Amino acid sequence: MPEIDTKQAPQSGLSGIIKEAINSPLLVPLLAILTAMVVGGVIIAMVGGNPFAAYLGLAQGAFGSFKALSETAVWASPYIFAGLAVALAFKGGLFNIGAEGQLALGAVTSAWVGYALPDMLGITLPPILHISLTIGAGILAGALWAAIPGALKAYTGGHEVINTIMMNYIALNMVSFLLNGPMKDRTPGNVIARTPEIAESARIPIIFEGLRVHWGFVLALFIAFLAWWLLWKTTVGFEIRTVGMNPDAAKYAGINVKRTIVLTMALSGLLAGMAGAIEVTGLNYRHELGFSIGYGFDAIAIALLGKTHPLGVVLAAILFAGMRNGGTRMQFLTQIPVDIISVIQALILLFVAADAIIRYIYRIKVEEERVTLTRGWGG
Amino acid sequence: MDWRRFGFIFLVIAVLFGVVVAIGSKADSPVLIITSMLATTIAVATPLTLGALSGIFCERAGVVNIGIEGMMLGAAFFGWLAAIYMNTIFGFAPLPSLLIGVLFAMLSGGLFALLHAVLSVTYKVDQIIGGTVINILAVGVTGFLNRQLFFEKGSIFGGQVPHAPGVLPRIQIPFLADIPVAGRIFDQQPITIAAILLVIIAHYVLFYTPWGLRTRAVGEHPRAADTVGINVAFMRYANVVIGGMLAGLGGAYFTLESVPSFEPLMTNGRGFISLAAMIFGNWSPFGAWAASLVFGTAQALQINLQFYRPLIPDQWAFLQNSYIVGLAPYILTMLILTGIIGKTTPPAADGVPYEK
Amino acid sequence: MLKKLYLVLALVMVAALLLPACAPAAPDCASADVFCVGLVTDVGKIDDKSFNQSTWEGVQQAKEEGVADQVQYIETTDAKDYDKNIATFADANYDVIVTVGFALGEASNAAAAKYPEVDFIGVDQFVEWPFDDDASNDLANFAGLNFPEDNAGFLVGALAAMMSESGKIGSVCGTDAVPPVWRFGEGYRAGAAYIDPAVEVTVVYHSDVGFDKTFTDPEWGAATANSMIDKGVDVIFGAGGKTGNGAVTAAAQRGVYAIGVDTDQYLTLPEAAPRLLSSAMKLLTPGTFDLIKLSKEGSFPSGNYYGSAGYAPFHDLENEVPAEVKTKMEEINAGLLDGSITTGVPPVKPE
Repeated sequence: MPEIDTKQAPQSGLSGIIKEAINSPLLVPLLAILTAMVVGGVIIAMVGGNPFAAYLGLAQGAFGSFKALSETAVWASPYIFAGLAVALAFKGGLFNIGAEGQLALGAVTSAWVGYALPDMLGITLPPILHISLTIGAGILAGALWAAIPGALKAYTGGHEVINTIMMNYIALNMVSFLLNGPMKDRTPGNVIARTPEIAESARIPIIFEGLRVHWGFVLALFIAFLAWWLLWKTTVGFEIRTVGMNPDAAKYAGINVKRTIVLTMALSGLLAGMAGAIEVTGLNYRHELGFSIGYGFDAIAIALLGKTHPLGVVLAAILFAGMRNGGTRMQFLTQIPVDIISVIQALILLFVAADAIIRYIYRIKVEEERVTLTRGWGG
Repeated sequence: MDWRRFGFIFLVIAVLFGVVVAIGSKADSPVLIITSMLATTIAVATPLTLGALSGIFCERAGVVNIGIEGMMLGAAFFGWLAAIYMNTIFGFAPLPSLLIGVLFAMLSGGLFALLHAVLSVTYKVDQIIGGTVINILAVGVTGFLNRQLFFEKGSIFGGQVPHAPGVLPRIQIPFLADIPVAGRIFDQQPITIAAILLVIIAHYVLFYTPWGLRTRAVGEHPRAADTVGINVAFMRYANVVIGGMLAGLGGAYFTLESVPSFEPLMTNGRGFISLAAMIFGNWSPFGAWAASLVFGTAQALQINLQFYRPLIPDQWAFLQNSYIVGLAPYILTMLILTGIIGKTTPPAADGVPYEK
Repeated sequence: MLKKLYLVLALVMVAALLLPACAPAAPDCASADVFCVGLVTDVGKIDDKSFNQSTWEGVQQAKEEGVADQVQYIETTDAKDYDKNIATFADANYDVIVTVGFALGEASNAAAAKYPEVDFIGVDQFVEWPFDDDASNDLANFAGLNFPEDNAGFLVGALAAMMSESGKIGSVCGTDAVPPVWRFGEGYRAGAAYIDPAVEVTVVYHSDVGFDKTFTDPEWGAATANSMIDKGVDVIFGAGGKTGNGAVTAAAQRGVYAIGVDTDQYLTLPEAAPRLLSSAMKLLTPGTFDLIKLSKEGSFPSGNYYGSAGYAPFHDLENEVPAEVKTKMEEINAGLLDGSITTGVPPVKPE
């Protein structure tokens, strides 16, 4: 995480608060969001729409009612997990583009444990046990899937960007095969490529009657906290961050760099797998071909917007979830295509990545340490 | 690129061809099958070849470009859009409209690449993040404009997609295309032919011209190049833009040569596979082309196996499952990256922003 | 300067929190004299020049003829959103909701049970409950609009067999997991066999990708068609949204006969028009319109409702089709309608 060079002592009063706010790491992301929305508004106006009506519709769809809030939370859960996955990898100096595949495998494995286990064992399982096993299977699958490119990077130098992209395609192919074949839902009349429904005992309960939001969302927040604690309060976390900032220095400090790389990827995959598992156990109660497409890239944007810090990731995830969820309502009310949301999200990402642009516009002079997140193919 | 790797590549292609011939020869003659496969392979390898060439120019100059996917998608859309406008609004005939479309596609690729260059060279943003931003931006912009321009507000559904002026015509290479049966290989569309010519041109430019020398210098030892008076930033900008235009040509393949319509996300990962082809081919044009042919063959294999499905013998029933067959190129790429089949050596300063 | 900026930011944030209360009002469908019809598509695209588009045209026709006052559509972008998108219309008190496509069957039936005052038209959604003896699961407000696609496929298959010079014909289809597509493809095969069992028929289904891609992959359609043409096929029937369109345009480009699907694609695919022999049509537009009208009139037919199928005129190729072929086509059409000819195609792909 970039260090802020503020030489002033904390000042009291409103000016002090404002000075603190200027120097806070939240500033650039917030301004990036604001600027992107302004540009988005200009685009909307250029195609003949009313930006204010559009954003009103968006806000209403995202936060305007209990149902809307519930739906936003539902979208936010996988985003938080996937965003944490990518963010954690970044902290370790690795670029995990494979969240998509890890998530899919996590989902399909969880679904299998969810629907097949009771039949295999011939008993009904207590929910606590079944849910734990179901999620556990998913995170294990995700962790393993990410560990492979991690090991390849550590021991052969193969760059994780290409390897994780390849693993994505392999994973998606495998899932297609499973959902059209051995794991297909064989209830009479069904032809869709999906698993059978998972048992009642494997489902995460919903929080409020009538709304879709489930305890998985709370779990996501808790896991974000755990991620923060891991990274800044444990030795393992310290090793991960050190390898991320400077692998040579880490080696001289006695850290086993290769092992750390594999561990970082495994943890990252674990989180991505959890995203898939939670979707299966909390929302869909099965896995279907076509669910969970696109979370991988959204996760990258969320991780960067959140400055790879767990708290930032949670906030960014909720923002993206709100935008995704509110977009349909916006389209319904104002006929502006929901794709404008993607444009705005891309602009947010652009401004966050090239924060120098934001600094220039708003005349912010805070000097930040440049952290090189990746180093080309040489690794 | 060493002969061991070329040999491996041709072995793989031969095996894949062999499988199809073995299965299909009950219905059609082996010559016909090989011809058909080869014709399909060359055609579908086109975007991969162009994407790989794009990557080569960028990376030989020291800039990692994983935004090829986005550049292709953007080019596919804007080139198609230009062709439609020329044809329906300005009343040009189909062929000129399509050619102008190709020009716009290359322009679009170049502009996206310029953005990438600005981010990477001037603002020194992490290049992989910059590439990701390009990809996400391309998806968002093309999706939005595709919806907005053709389905106007008001009569949301009313707008019809105006009809595209078809696709680029096929060119039959004289003499060669007249060969009975095998002549089909030489009956290809312009961008496909251009891609092969560009491989040769790229090889020549990179290894036999001063420009190529300077490019490679900037990618291997920018500081030394700077000392000798080469403008590092300019070379990087220029090569990235050239790369962008090549990617743009690759994008034009999708909407101006393959099918006359645009689908959101139609590039379907081809940009990333081009990167794999580039690495596979060790950052050299001929190597990348050979690697693209492997991927192209895999695609042709899938198509032909579906055609010959009833003929697949039971012992090989797993081949009916195109998921399994489709895995081959990806696993191959990962294998190559481990270095088992020869070392891969990227340009030394690849991905590192140059600080004066 | 920065202080002002922060003030502005703060105001914007406060406003953003308050503003949802003043969002634009939705049209008032709850009132009895406003008849609203909503359409929910599948994840395929609305502009697919056949399926979704024709259904929407039926809905629009309802508006034009004054049957409906307000019509709107929602395009589904993610299969998870089926329930949500249907609910958006239902909660806004729409009177009729049309759900397009087989994949929405489950969500539509569930919604019909949940919102009994709304009439649901499920295009290509075949329901089993009229056939079981259990009246308790019948939904009075649900009508599945189905078509005899195998008849349409049979007709064009016969046409293809008669018009082929090489004796090899082909079809490029979406996934066979969708029963109407299966029926088109197998009907085509059966129709060709009816004319001449020696004709080689190759039907390729795009079953190797998910539902999100199988109808929106024109490149695969074109590559497959080209591959078939290399092997000597000279008539290609494209049946599967944009995937099929890709095959049809590629066939036309190579100069072989092409046959479209769902509607008369001569009108919607002009780039293929010169070689478009015919199209296997299922009359979605009149079918949708009729059901909407019945709902307005209060006599909504619950259960399965059958629309009609047919084959499109030859247009530019009118003179290339010999007279005997035309007579035979009319003969087959009559035979299918009066039941003397049956296709023998099972309604869904057997396991």
